[in-house]
Amino acid sequence: VTARGRILVVEDDESLRETLAEVLADDGHDVRVAADGEAALDALHVWAPDLILLDLMMPKMDGFAFREAQRGVEEARPPKILLLSAAHAVESAADELQADAWLVKPFGLADVLRAVDELLAAPD
Amino acid sequence: MTTPNDMAGEGFLAHEPHLRGEVAFRLLVDAVQDYAIFLLSTEGTVLTWNRGAERIKGYSADEIVGQHFSVFYTPDEREAGRPMSLLGSAAEHGRFEDEGWRVRKDGSWFWADVIVTALRDEAGAPYAYAKITRDLTERRASEERQAELLAERRARAAAEEALRARDRFLSIASHELKTPIANLRLSSASLLHVRESGHLDEGRLRAGLARIQTASERLGVLVAELLDITRLTAGVLPIHLGRTDIVAVATDVIERFAEADMGSRIRLHAPPQAVVEADASRVDQVLTNLIDNALKFSEPPAEVDVSIVEVPGAVDLTVNDRGMGIDDITATRMFEAFGRGEAVEHVPGMGLGLHISQQIVARHGGSITAAQRTDGPGATFTVRLPHAVTA
Repeated sequence: VTARGRILVVEDDESLRETLAEVLADDGHDVRVAADGEAALDALHVWAPDLILLDLMMPKMDGFAFREAQRGVEEARPPKILLLSAAHAVESAADELQADAWLVKPFGLADVLRAVDELLAAPD
Repeated sequence: MTTPNDMAGEGFLAHEPHLRGEVAFRLLVDAVQDYAIFLLSTEGTVLTWNRGAERIKGYSADEIVGQHFSVFYTPDEREAGRPMSLLGSAAEHGRFEDEGWRVRKDGSWFWADVIVTALRDEAGAPYAYAKITRDLTERRASEERQAELLAERRARAAAEEALRARDRFLSIASHELKTPIANLRLSSASLLHVRESGHLDEGRLRAGLARIQTASERLGVLVAELLDITRLTAGVLPIHLGRTDIVAVATDVIERFAEADMGSRIRLHAPPQAVVEADASRVDQVLTNLIDNALKFSEPPAEVDVSIVEVPGAVDLTVNDRGMGIDDITATRMFEAFGRGEAVEHVPGMGLGLHISQQIVARHGGSITAAQRTDGPGATFTVRLPHAVTA
């Protein structure tokens, strides 16, 4: 069975990270995880995801710093970015990060799966 | 006292012989408008008057010469004997400068800068006093306006900082609260979903429930912190004092960390017991917070040392970690609400724990301090709890 999409989950909360990985894997995706921006950059050097679920507030390297570094990584097809945030200013953050979409915490299962499907189906 | 020659210059007077000596001096003094310059007898009677004095104080020479100079003072200062004590100071020191309110002829007050100089005879005894008064009312008003402006600017900066701290707190609190809620929603929905599809096995169920438990415990801690901070702010955090063995409390706390598989890094150094008057559950809360921080800010396998030591009148409870340590600024700021060091902005937690701990310890009449460890990298937190709480 081929995976529907390759997704990197970047989230510092271990529990939420594992849950996201699980529900996305259940939904037929190939999922990898990273606990912060640094680990996510490392993952990108060996693996090219179609979509990155990105938390904003993380230790070591936050979402903003990660995005800045990640744009420097040469990609044939740059990954879509789905921002995960509890911040009320998520819209302006998404703008600044040039994210393709965002989810406001706390999001439900259906919200995540719908957003992921839409982004994977959207043209580049 | 300055002589006329000094004032006008030798050369000028040499070409204007009619302006020499006493006459020149009197004319000069009389012409001065911005300063009240006059002589007083040793008893304080006004002997001379110039135009500046008339302009500043409102009396003409006819009205005031021969009167006692205490009429220039406010009733309170006259009552306190201030006018004559000023002359006394001038007699003693040769010269005396004073600033204060003085009274004009019409009863209005002005802010004066006054210099009184004792004029002495050859034996050194004062035979009169020279008094020079300047009206500084306007300058004082402008200084007051400046001070008001400065105070206003400071207050505005403080208010802006408080707003920024609140925004920062709201952003951290919403991140901290909403992450476990997202987790609860996702985990429970995913368990239901998998169960409906008939694929729910034992391992999957356990993992899902464990995550739900973690998230709900995290939420419990956060909500308790928010309640504590609210009650502290309102001054209604309950403290129930009783005989409390700090060693027993510490043993309990460390056992709890051990149950959560985080006890292997914690070492306790303590006497058999150390009893103080305290709220055991609050001391538990403070120590739990300090150990939790120590574990959070240092990587395994670095150990966290907890020491309990009897000192005169109190018990010292110390938590040492091998983390990033703290600079002096952070050491004082970190106990403020939302006063986290910038280096730890992204470490989980709302940054309220130390503030709450400090408030609890203060309610026990004790103190909490933080410092760089003296024996290598890391931080030291010391809680001092007095044997008895004195209100």
